[in-house]
Amino acid sequence: MHQLIQAIIIGILIGGVYALMASGLTLVFGIMKVINVAQGALVILAAYLSYALWSHLHVDPFLSIFIVMPAMFVLGVAVQLVFVRSLRGPDASELSLLVTWALALGIEGVLSVVFKTTYRVSLPSYSDTTWTVAGYQINEVRLLGFVTSAVLLVLLSVLLTRTRFGRAVRATVQNPTAAELLGVDANRVQTLSFGLGVSMAAAAGAVYGVIYPFNPGSHYDLISRLLSIVVLGGLGSLGGAVFAAVGMGIVESVVAVEISPIWAAFSFFVVLIAFLLVRPQGIFGVRERTL
Amino acid sequence: MKHSPARLATLAATISLAAVAATAGTAAARTTAASAGPIKIGISLSLSGDFSDPGKFAMQGYKLWAKTVNAKGGILGRKVVLDIKDDASSPTQAATNYQNFITKDRVDLTFGPFSTLLTAPSAAVAHRYGYAFIEPAGGGPAVFDQKLNNVFFTQPAPIVESGDVFVRWVLSLPKAKRPKTAAYPELDDPFSSPIAERMRQQFEKAGIRTVYKTIYPSETVDMTPIVSKIASKKPDMIVGGTQAGDGYALVKALVQANFSPKFLFEANGPNSPGEFPSKVGASNTQGIFSASDWFPKAKTYGNPYFVRQFVKTYGGTAGGIDPGSAEAYAVGQVAQRVISKVGVNNAKIIAALHKGKWPTVEGTLHWNAIGEPTGKFLLMEWLGGNLYPVLPKGVATRKPTFPKPGWGG
Repeated sequence: MHQLIQAIIIGILIGGVYALMASGLTLVFGIMKVINVAQGALVILAAYLSYALWSHLHVDPFLSIFIVMPAMFVLGVAVQLVFVRSLRGPDASELSLLVTWALALGIEGVLSVVFKTTYRVSLPSYSDTTWTVAGYQINEVRLLGFVTSAVLLVLLSVLLTRTRFGRAVRATVQNPTAAELLGVDANRVQTLSFGLGVSMAAAAGAVYGVIYPFNPGSHYDLISRLLSIVVLGGLGSLGGAVFAAVGMGIVESVVAVEISPIWAAFSFFVVLIAFLLVRPQGIFGVRERTL
Repeated sequence: MKHSPARLATLAATISLAAVAATAGTAAARTTAASAGPIKIGISLSLSGDFSDPGKFAMQGYKLWAKTVNAKGGILGRKVVLDIKDDASSPTQAATNYQNFITKDRVDLTFGPFSTLLTAPSAAVAHRYGYAFIEPAGGGPAVFDQKLNNVFFTQPAPIVESGDVFVRWVLSLPKAKRPKTAAYPELDDPFSSPIAERMRQQFEKAGIRTVYKTIYPSETVDMTPIVSKIASKKPDMIVGGTQAGDGYALVKALVQANFSPKFLFEANGPNSPGEFPSKVGASNTQGIFSASDWFPKAKTYGNPYFVRQFVKTYGGTAGGIDPGSAEAYAVGQVAQRVISKVGVNNAKIIAALHKGKWPTVEGTLHWNAIGEPTGKFLLMEWLGGNLYPVLPKGVATRKPTFPKPGWGG
């Protein structure tokens, strides 16, 4: 029982970080119907930026979020303006897959040239600190990562529900045509939302780089997890992404401890497929009406 | 469509002629012993893609060897020219590169690429055309299972045996001091898991009880759940069948779980002196074992000269030289010596290399019929923030130290 609870704690802590990564992906899909498969590569890019700030300028990886997030927001806006905005028509979603995949490969190539392919990890002095609470171990870095993710997700939620920009975003998600008729500048909303999604990846990347060793190829595994999370949570649903990410963390961790690590990742996909058979729109997704 | 007998005969003759021409071409490629001109050597290396870092280390070793040989007038009065092509870490591209080296570029010799994955298909191509394949990094079963007579691996032993030196040392300890229990986390990888499996079988035979064994997939980045399980079993010894990334992650997870076994061996990860401390924290390295084929202060043939020239050419320190560079340099040393004896004739080179012993920076090498070296790996241990060879005795600069202290100790 002790093992099981320990595994659940590990799963919740890491699930929070995955939720942060997935939040940007689901946000962008909800607004633009763009499946940004470069999200994993953008997370890794941010991990490298944070690593560079830490290793060259000794900026704490968690504090580096204040630098990496705005920088990646600008990058996200630029990517949307240059590569994504021009995708129009009925095939826009499919084309976005190709364009963002090309972007992911481009980022991987640049990182391989600049940072080489050896694994990197940011190692602040507190990275080895672990607290024992009621017999259960909680690593400081993972807890900080979870708390950071939770704070940012709450802020994102507040932004989307309590601000004028948030209302414009939600209006665009629900009915883009009606939103435009009511004076919402859809192009502006889409551009800023893409930047916001990328900046969420940036924050998650800074956290990821403290917890795990990474190299330019690490994004392949990440994107498969992130896509699974947003599909299970319901495409476009922030709450669903959080729920699915934490669920994935728990399922993988428990299966790795109680059964075998070989089945850990697979088990999540079993849950995903089983769930989608019953509820194809995902946990919090809305079933689209058909004529 | 019908063919007349005359037409068929013409077709058969044409095919025969083509076959003769192809055979002649192969024979020509096999014995390109032109006495004048440079010795052209074709090498496929991973200069981009997943293996680009180790690929570049190998390139440094190859280029340094060519530079030093040419500075002394070449081999048999002929300069050495390396034709290095990028294979983008792809086995298919590597095989294509060697095909082109041999049939199109008509190189005199071929040297091996990086890693077993690329060496296996490349060696088969070289074998088809009768080329010797002296190679620095293809030490996994996939290479030797092909049972090719043209392969010569320039490390002390096949990779699968790299943990044997640790097993022998542990079993040489007084019974009371030996570990009683062991855990084996193993990466699902043809080069890592077999090392730990071979060690497990030997330890179990000697009475060391296995309390945990698991195989984890290559995409595993979070070792925390695995370590959580290991820690609950409290093994005296952990043997990790690891590659670099998961090797670092395993140590980090052990530190974070605050579980320090009395003995910790990892197949890969700790044997990268330039990388390991920066990935796990220098203070956490103490007492961790791994295996290696080379170290900068080795008193092997030509090693001091190699180290001096390497630092002079590429900068940095001796401690920062990756063993991959030494392995590639050793390929050149073997080639230089054998060419000096039998000339640039691949058939004669293959025959000669199957006999005798060949001194290199990697030690004095000797191969069996399928290219497996018959020596032993070095047991390495992190002591005081540095990686030292602790066995075998003639080579060791420190004695093995145990039990491993707690993390940060």
